[in-house]
Amino acid sequence: MSAITPMVSESTDKQLAMMQKLILQHQVEQFLYAEAALLDERKYDQWYALMADDIHYWMPIRRTTTAKDIAQEFTKIGDIAFFDDDKELLGMRLKKFNSGSNWSEDPPSRTRHIVNNIRIKKLADDTVSVDCNFHLYRSRMNTDIDNWVGRREDRLRRTEDGFEVFQRHIYIDQTVINSTNFSSLF
Amino acid sequence: MSNLFSDPLIKPKDDIAGVFDEENGLLDRRIFSDDDLYQQELDQIFGRAWNFMVHESMLPNVGDYFINYIGEDQVIVVRDKTEKIQVLLNTCRHRGNALCRAEQGNAKSFVCSYHGWNYDLQGNLVGIPGRKDYYRDDIDQANLGLAKAAKVDSFEGFYFATLDPEAPSLYDYLGEVGRTGIYMMTANGEIEAVNGVQKNIVDCNWKIAVDNLFDWYHVRYSHHSAVKAGLLDIDKMLHPLNQMVLLGEYGHAISGPCIPEKLQQQIDTMTDEQRKEFSEADGSVRLRPASAKKKMGEQGVRSMGHPNIFPNLWVTLNGMQFCLRLPRGAHSTELWWFTLVQKDATPEQRKAVVRFANHTFGPAGLLEQDDGENWTQSSQTSKGRASGLLKHHLAMAQGHDIIATDKNGAGVIETHINEHAQRWNYQAWQDWMQAKDWADLKQNHRKVPEGKI
Repeated sequence: MSAITPMVSESTDKQLAMMQKLILQHQVEQFLYAEAALLDERKYDQWYALMADDIHYWMPIRRTTTAKDIAQEFTKIGDIAFFDDDKELLGMRLKKFNSGSNWSEDPPSRTRHIVNNIRIKKLADDTVSVDCNFHLYRSRMNTDIDNWVGRREDRLRRTEDGFEVFQRHIYIDQTVINSTNFSSLF
Repeated sequence: MSNLFSDPLIKPKDDIAGVFDEENGLLDRRIFSDDDLYQQELDQIFGRAWNFMVHESMLPNVGDYFINYIGEDQVIVVRDKTEKIQVLLNTCRHRGNALCRAEQGNAKSFVCSYHGWNYDLQGNLVGIPGRKDYYRDDIDQANLGLAKAAKVDSFEGFYFATLDPEAPSLYDYLGEVGRTGIYMMTANGEIEAVNGVQKNIVDCNWKIAVDNLFDWYHVRYSHHSAVKAGLLDIDKMLHPLNQMVLLGEYGHAISGPCIPEKLQQQIDTMTDEQRKEFSEADGSVRLRPASAKKKMGEQGVRSMGHPNIFPNLWVTLNGMQFCLRLPRGAHSTELWWFTLVQKDATPEQRKAVVRFANHTFGPAGLLEQDDGENWTQSSQTSKGRASGLLKHHLAMAQGHDIIATDKNGAGVIETHINEHAQRWNYQAWQDWMQAKDWADLKQNHRKVPEGKI
């Protein structure tokens, strides 16, 4: 019981710090949920607006290696990756969605972005690193199902309206991707 | 195959001859769904052909290995202690367990996780736990090494292997057109593989993925959204009325845009330095140095198209990337993307290559995203009782072009967008599927035609 009972004996400073942490955690979580909802609702332009001008959106390739060679598990920045986008390249994905001939998403997929295990760390006054687990479920056509699960290392920056994302590093829990394509955004 | 192996359980079909109606350019689409035919392909195509293994730069050190496939047979491609590349079947001779369970790495030896049999980098069985106490020293250890590919050889740093000892040499197998396809990757100087192979699975027959690499007809439509997104300038790339097809023996072919002869004459007057400068300024084209003409041939040097090294190795982006289409049953194909960069590239040039590679092909590639479902559905509709009996139409430009043999022996067609290479590919497939063995295939495979095509 003691763990969930307010610590009346603690100093007001400590309580205040705890409250600030909780508020930040809450704000970050609410931001990530709202951002995920935009993707599920196919509001790509609104989603794109939440990406910072200096965004690095990256998913390295993962390999099955022995325990001894585990340092080779992921490709590094500058190597080949599944995604390695700046704002301009993400913008091209958006134009593709809006092109009227985006066959890989027409008929549109049904996606559900589940984000949890959110652990945050303050980097500076206006930036925060956010580690989370994700589960992106995609249902396409009538029977095609994809389940993409992994970990994300996001970095957020405070803006007037909330946050923007300036890093999204996506570590997927698959090596050979068991899917026709990645036409969804993570 | 050597006597290590049993005879195949499935007897080859005799009635392959009519599968591709050459006269009318019509293809029996059941070849995309028939499970027995698929097993026969594993024996008669992948089991006989030279299959791509690695580029030498992927295994720089002794003990470096990369797992690849010959058909559905997993092989360990490893640099042994003498620095030679070995291709070993990844299956223990005791109970068949896979020895190597990683995709790549470095090993001193390969120890089986089942009973601990240990093989050195050349595949020799060097350790049997309990050899004395349990086997009573009564085991033919010397003959229980890992099964090896019958032949391993390289061309321009690209290693291939075949399971069939009767296969011709790699050089002869590739022929003029296969070699030109590989020179496309090396003509501009020494290259190395960039770290990272993109792999994904598409629910299609492997042959429809091969068919597509020759297909410059689909680009404007299938990939319209990538054009709209600004990934490619299609007019700079496609040149629908300046297309060249090169046909080679055993099914190798190159198809796609070409540099018109007049333009090549201008390029011929430029020094290598001027060509480099022009390419860097233009950004969309990489002019080959003067030495390329001797390697690729008078005509081949003008090709900016897509080679397929039969059966399943596609070279693209003028040699910057290549892709394996690995069969996984009649209804599934693994796509493996490899990327190359010039050894002397500046960090900026390297960055540009990686950037373009990452955004074009692979599952998230702006271009390739739209291919998979077309191939899946083209394969799946072949399962229908009625739709499976409707033939694929491959008659574009049939009978409207002329093929001439260049002095190196490649058949060259200069034309508009067409389906010559696809027809050639299915004709070759038929040759391979009808041949009893390599001797039969060597003698009876179709020779490059001349005249009207």
